[in-house]
Amino acid sequence: MSETTANNAAQTGGVQFDTAFPKCVRIESKPHLYCPGCGHPEVLKALGFAIDDLGIQERVAFGIDIGCSLLAWDYFNLDTVETHHGKTIPTMVGLKQSRPEAVAIAYVGDGGAYAIGAGHFLNAAIRNENILVIVVNNAVYAMTGGQEAPTTLPGMKVATAPAGADQYYIRAPEIVRNVNPTAFVARGIATVQPALRQIIKGAIQHQMEGKGFAFVEVLSQCPLNWGTMGDSKATFDILENKLAKAYPVKRY
Amino acid sequence: MGNEVLGRAARAAGARAMFGYPISPSSEIMHFWAGEAVSEQGKKDRIICTQAEDEGGAGFMMIGSVLVGTRAFTATAGPGHVIMQDALSMAEAMRLPVVVYVMQRGGPSTSTVIYSQSEVNLACFGGNGNGYRVVYSPATLQERYDYGIKVFNVAWKYRFPTFLLGDGYLAKMMGEVELYAPEERGIAIEPTEPYLLEDKRVRELEQVVPSPELQIRRVGGVEYACLRNCLNLEEETLAVNMEIKEAFDKAAVEIVEFEEYGPKDADTLIVAHGIVTNAAKEAVDTLKEKGISARLFRPITLRPFPEEQLRQAAKGVKRIVVAESAIAQLSRLVAYALRGTDSAPMAELSRPSIGIVPREIIEAVMSARLTYV
Amino acid sequence: MKQPYRIVISGEGGQGVLSIAKIIATAAWMQGRTATYMPFFGTEKRGGISIGYAQIGEEPITVPKFEKADLCVALSQRAVARLMRYLKDDSVIVVNSFLVKDLTDIAKWKPHSIDAASIAREQLKKPRTFNMVIMGAMLKHIPGMSEEGFEKALEKAFKSKYEKDPALRELNAKAVSIGYQLG
Repeated sequence: MSETTANNAAQTGGVQFDTAFPKCVRIESKPHLYCPGCGHPEVLKALGFAIDDLGIQERVAFGIDIGCSLLAWDYFNLDTVETHHGKTIPTMVGLKQSRPEAVAIAYVGDGGAYAIGAGHFLNAAIRNENILVIVVNNAVYAMTGGQEAPTTLPGMKVATAPAGADQYYIRAPEIVRNVNPTAFVARGIATVQPALRQIIKGAIQHQMEGKGFAFVEVLSQCPLNWGTMGDSKATFDILENKLAKAYPVKRY
Repeated sequence: MGNEVLGRAARAAGARAMFGYPISPSSEIMHFWAGEAVSEQGKKDRIICTQAEDEGGAGFMMIGSVLVGTRAFTATAGPGHVIMQDALSMAEAMRLPVVVYVMQRGGPSTSTVIYSQSEVNLACFGGNGNGYRVVYSPATLQERYDYGIKVFNVAWKYRFPTFLLGDGYLAKMMGEVELYAPEERGIAIEPTEPYLLEDKRVRELEQVVPSPELQIRRVGGVEYACLRNCLNLEEETLAVNMEIKEAFDKAAVEIVEFEEYGPKDADTLIVAHGIVTNAAKEAVDTLKEKGISARLFRPITLRPFPEEQLRQAAKGVKRIVVAESAIAQLSRLVAYALRGTDSAPMAELSRPSIGIVPREIIEAVMSARLTYV
Repeated sequence: MKQPYRIVISGEGGQGVLSIAKIIATAAWMQGRTATYMPFFGTEKRGGISIGYAQIGEEPITVPKFEKADLCVALSQRAVARLMRYLKDDSVIVVNSFLVKDLTDIAKWKPHSIDAASIAREQLKKPRTFNMVIMGAMLKHIPGMSEEGFEKALEKAFKSKYEKDPALRELNAKAVSIGYQLG
């Protein structure tokens, strides 16, 4: 029985029930620091359950970027390091090359992976570095106040494009599939937990089997910067109808 | 040649991983290391040599490597050094013992690939911190070997980013060097320790990483360490800076190194570092032949700077002449070191990005003697 | 304080300027002297400026840069202009007359003109030995250097080339000899 279940059991007078949290979570840092309605906690939960399933808690090096991913710095009982913006991927590359037994996971946002960190991201993919990169794509730079991201869709109104974002956006899984034929590439969505859990688990296994680069982009919601706080219908309309249309949710 | 000497020094020091990006005049260090990585012995020692996509990648790969306790280093120069400071400022904030061999070249911008002493500011104070790094400035090929080894031990013992400041002349020069294994000279290799994925450490993380940046929990007998550099409150960042300062000031007394050359009663003090030291020593000798008494004070560590020792050396001199292949990078350190003292006037021989010969130093001293009587 | 013997050699990138300086410095060191070599080159990989500095002495040599040279060698016309600043009254000059035709600026130093390129091509039938001819001429003027000691340095520098083509060894020795006589 995990600590959390034991705690829950104690509080519910001895009745045991499945905890909503993965075992590897750090209960002392809950409630988490994310905004109400944010997609990150869903992604982190899926990641945590995948780690539980694989029994690798002691082997994971969890790297996070600057941006909303940094709010996960003490989310887990995993060895964690927050890097500089766009630099989580090379940090995990160096770490994995030096300690191949570790499971190196870079958890970054769309800016860290596709803008400032694009050079590192692309080169790690091309060189088939044996790390897992999880990119939480909410089509906006959230922590810094809602600026345009490489994945902001045409016409979306953002802080640095108040008249609407331009027509350019980046489909990263498609790019990675093109430069690396054997990488594990998938796009998931924060609203579908079981599938997300499976994809992440498969991506981790790809690394553990020494097969090289694994990349999972997860479409996620940001009600705060989308201006849909309190209106879940509007939030999920954007996520599931707009974003998921432009960014297909599938295994590549 | 000078760069090969550094490669051999790193090997002798037990370094295992180099992450870098080619840039003149440092590239031969990486060529050497790449050769080591594919050699018989190198494969046995699991030597890693990775050419990153740029200096940013190299710097952060080096950090990732250091985090799991690998003795890692990089080499860079000029514009590459500028980019590298992003990673180095993270290492400074989190007390990570990265080792950097810097081959100073013309600046600012691309300039020449030849030589300068213009990266003193960058090495000592680069990034957005307060300059808590250790910086050595060797003067000869032999010292490059000696300090090329030492930087690793100092880095892992005291846990500050540690630099060996070279330059394009020393990098490309060929000359006689005595190579040796550290144990032959009784030099102990400082053990490394992982920051992540480790349970038993000799030195607990709490003694190294500034407290607001660290959160450790023990679960089921396993220690999980969470490290960050992003903080929320002013009080947190004040604490980080003061903890780093305290540790640095304490270590400084053990780390600081300097050298003096020339008559004790000289009334002119010459200050120079790195390869300019040699021209300065020749100048001291030639001046003596002319009946003029000058003494050289040479900081070997630019950070921590031998402030107290310089103040002692400057007592009673009539004039100070600072010679450097840069503008006001060394002399600024000198002026700061002498703050608050009643010190002599300072003349500056500033020859940015060009070599200095003894004649120039002699003339600077003669001129200072006429100006500051 | 006795100054080291200072040599500066210049030419176009690709002419082997730096190899010459390096081999001379190595040869001196192998004969028990102290020696320092330092290269200078521009950004072009071929056909740019190339200057080699070598110093040979008895005491450790720690200042790689110098203002006046005892021996100046110009392998191309452009190099002559580059070397002017290193000349003092008693400098010795050696030039590759195949490319250096205009000696007006350096006439007063009575330069030793050697058509190393033609010698290499016609007498030795191997244009690449042009460097060796020049080196032979240089050797004549460097105090304390012997031909035998020099051969040892050549062995070290060309180890793999000699393994592939042993005839080269004799050819180089011949080239150095010819250069020495003409120097």
